[in-house]
Amino acid sequence: MSSDDAKHAALEEAKREVEEAESLTGASAVAVHATTGPRRSPLVTLAWVAPGTIWLLLFLIAPLVMIVLVSVWQKTPVGFDPFAFTTEGYTKLFDTPVYLDTLKDTIIRALIVTALCILIGYPIAYFLARGVSSIRYQIALFVFVLAPFWVAYVVRIVAWLPVLGRQGVINYFLVEVIGVRAEPIDALLYSNFAIILALVQLYVLFMVTPIFFQLATLDNAAIEAARDLGATPAKVFREVILPLSLPGVLIGCIFVFVLVMGEFATVRLIGGGTIQSVGTLVYDYYKLPDLPTAAAGATILVAVMTIGVAVLLRFSKIREVV
Amino acid sequence: MSDEQNGLVLKDVYRVFPGDVTAVADVNLHVENGEYVVFLGPSGCGKTTTLRMIGGHDDPSSGTITIDGELMNGVSPAERPITTVFQHYALFPHKSVLQNVAFGLKMQGVDKAERETQAKAAIDLVGLTKMMDRKPRELSGGQQQRVALARVLVTRPKAILLDEPLGDLDRLLQMKMRVELRALQRELGITFIHVTHNQEEALSMADRIVVMGDAVIQQVGTPEELARHPRNEFVAKFMGDNNVFHGTISGTNGGNVVIDTPHGKIEVKGTGTAGQPGSMSIRANAVQVSTDAVPDVNGVKVRLDFAEYLGDSVKLHLDLAGQPFLAKVPEERYTEIRAYEGKDVTATWAIEDGHLLEQ
Repeated sequence: MSSDDAKHAALEEAKREVEEAESLTGASAVAVHATTGPRRSPLVTLAWVAPGTIWLLLFLIAPLVMIVLVSVWQKTPVGFDPFAFTTEGYTKLFDTPVYLDTLKDTIIRALIVTALCILIGYPIAYFLARGVSSIRYQIALFVFVLAPFWVAYVVRIVAWLPVLGRQGVINYFLVEVIGVRAEPIDALLYSNFAIILALVQLYVLFMVTPIFFQLATLDNAAIEAARDLGATPAKVFREVILPLSLPGVLIGCIFVFVLVMGEFATVRLIGGGTIQSVGTLVYDYYKLPDLPTAAAGATILVAVMTIGVAVLLRFSKIREVV
Repeated sequence: MSDEQNGLVLKDVYRVFPGDVTAVADVNLHVENGEYVVFLGPSGCGKTTTLRMIGGHDDPSSGTITIDGELMNGVSPAERPITTVFQHYALFPHKSVLQNVAFGLKMQGVDKAERETQAKAAIDLVGLTKMMDRKPRELSGGQQQRVALARVLVTRPKAILLDEPLGDLDRLLQMKMRVELRALQRELGITFIHVTHNQEEALSMADRIVVMGDAVIQQVGTPEELARHPRNEFVAKFMGDNNVFHGTISGTNGGNVVIDTPHGKIEVKGTGTAGQPGSMSIRANAVQVSTDAVPDVNGVKVRLDFAEYLGDSVKLHLDLAGQPFLAKVPEERYTEIRAYEGKDVTATWAIEDGHLLEQ
C-alpha cells in the first residue's frame, strides 16, 4: 500500500468515526437531558429506598446472620450458649457421610425437578402465550393454570396419598381393574419417584409464569422478519423464539431450583420418613434439639444454593440476552 | 400500459377485514423493475396493508399480485423474491450484526464460510464493518437501520419493501438516510417500495409516488406531477402548501373555466360545464403577495397573520375571511413582509399556475 493510499484510508476512517459520533449525539443529548431534570431532595430519595431496605434487613439479612451465629455457638442440653464459639456444629455434620450424601441427593433431586419443570412448563407457557390469540382467553387460561395454588400447600401434597398409596387409585386400577399386578406397588408412594412427581406438580408454575411473560412480550416483528427471511416454523423457534425466551427459563430455573433445594414438607409427607433432604435433616437436628448443628446444616444449604444461582447466572449471561 | 410480465403488478386488489372494514380497495398498480416507488398517505389509508400484501404478510381478499408474471397470491413471504425492512427494523436482539445479516442465507442453507463472506460484503456496503460484532442495542438508530437494510440485501431480493424506514430517526439523520437510501437503490438497481406518511420524504426520494387515502389510490405520479398537478382535493390538501377553492363554474373563457367562489372569480385552465360545481388549487409558492389593489380575477384580499422564516423561503400564514391561506415568498423579502403582519395584503396568482381539481 502506497503512503497516499494509507493517508486516504486514514481519512476515510476518520470521516466515518465523525459520522458515528454524530449519529450518536442525538441519543446522548436526550440522556443528558434526562439526568439533569428536576433535582430531588436526598430525603425523598431516602424515603423511597427505606421500605425495601428495612424489609431486606429484617427478613433476609437478620435471619441469615442469626443462623450463621447459631451455627458457631456451643450446644447445651437446652439450647445453646451464645458466649462460647465452636465449629462443632459443622464437624458433627461431616463426621458421618449422611449430611453430604443427603446434600448430594438434594442437589440431584433439585436438578431433576428443574429439568422436568422446563420440559413440562415450557410447552404450557408457549401454548398460553403464543397459541392463544385473544388476550382475554390468555388471561383466563393463565388464571386456570394457577388454580392449584388456590389450594393450601399441604393439601396439594396430601392429595397425592390417595392417588399413589397402597390402596390408592393407581394401585387399585392395576390390581383390581385390569389385574396386571397381583400385589399393589409400594414404590409409588414413599419413593424418590413420588417425591419428584409431587415436587414437579407443586413447582411447575414457577417455571410456567416467567416463561409465559417472556414469551407474551416477545417482539412479533422479529418473528415476522425471520419468516420473511425464509425461516421455517422450526427454525423460527430455534433461532428467535427460544433464545429470546431464555431469560424467562432462567428465572424459572432459579425459582424451582432454590425452592426444591429447601424443600421439607413434601419430602417428609410423600417420602414417609425413609427419604431425606437437607431440609428434613436440619429439622431432625432441630428436634433433638441440636440447634447449632441444625443451623450449620442450614448455612451450608444456603451457601450451596447461592453458588447454584451464581453458576446459573454466570453461564446464562442473563443481562446480555435482552 | 407497459409489459406486465416484468415487475410487480397489482390488479384489482381489495382487502376487507372481518367486520366489513375495507382497508384497501380497487388497487391497480404496475411497478417496473428498478423503480423507487413511495406509498404516501395518512395513517389508516391502507398503505401499510398494501405493503404487507405485497410482502406476503397478508393476503388480498380479491385481486391478484404478480411479480415478473408469477402469481404471488398465497405464496409465503419466505418464498417470494421480495423482503421487507420492518418498521422499527425488527432486528434480532440476541444476535450480532454479522449474525443478523447472515440470517437469511443461513435459512437458505448456505454454508457458514460462504454466508459470512456475503454478509460481510453487505455490511461493508452499508458502512458498518467496524460494528460487525456488536449487538443491535449497541448501535444508534441510523446504524440499526443500515443493519436492517444489509440483512435484506444479502438475500438478493428482486424488490425491497420498506415500512416507514426513517420514522424512528431524528430529522438530521432522516435527511442523511434519504440520500443514502436513494444512492444505494440506484447503485443496486433493485426495486424499492417505501411506505411513509411524510410528504417531504416521498417527494425527495421517489421515482413515482402513490398517494393513498380512504383505502384507494388517489393519484400516481412523479414527485413533480404531484406537487404541480394534484388530481383532486385530497391530494392537494395532503401534499400540503396548496390552497383549495370551491365554487360553481359560471362559464368558459378560451381554454379556461371561470369558477365563481365566495372569494371572487377564479380563472383556471381546463374544461367544464357552466352550473357544475368546480374546485381548483393553487400552490403556496405560486401566490404573489403585494399591496396592490385586488384584481377582478385570481386575486383575494387576505390578512397576514404570521410570516414564518424557513431559511430558504418565507411561509406566510394568511387569513382569508376566516380560512387559512398560504403563500411562500423568497427569503429576501422577510424583513419587508414582516412589516405587514396584522395588516391586509393582496394575494394574486397567474392563471396557468392554478390547477383545476377533479370532483
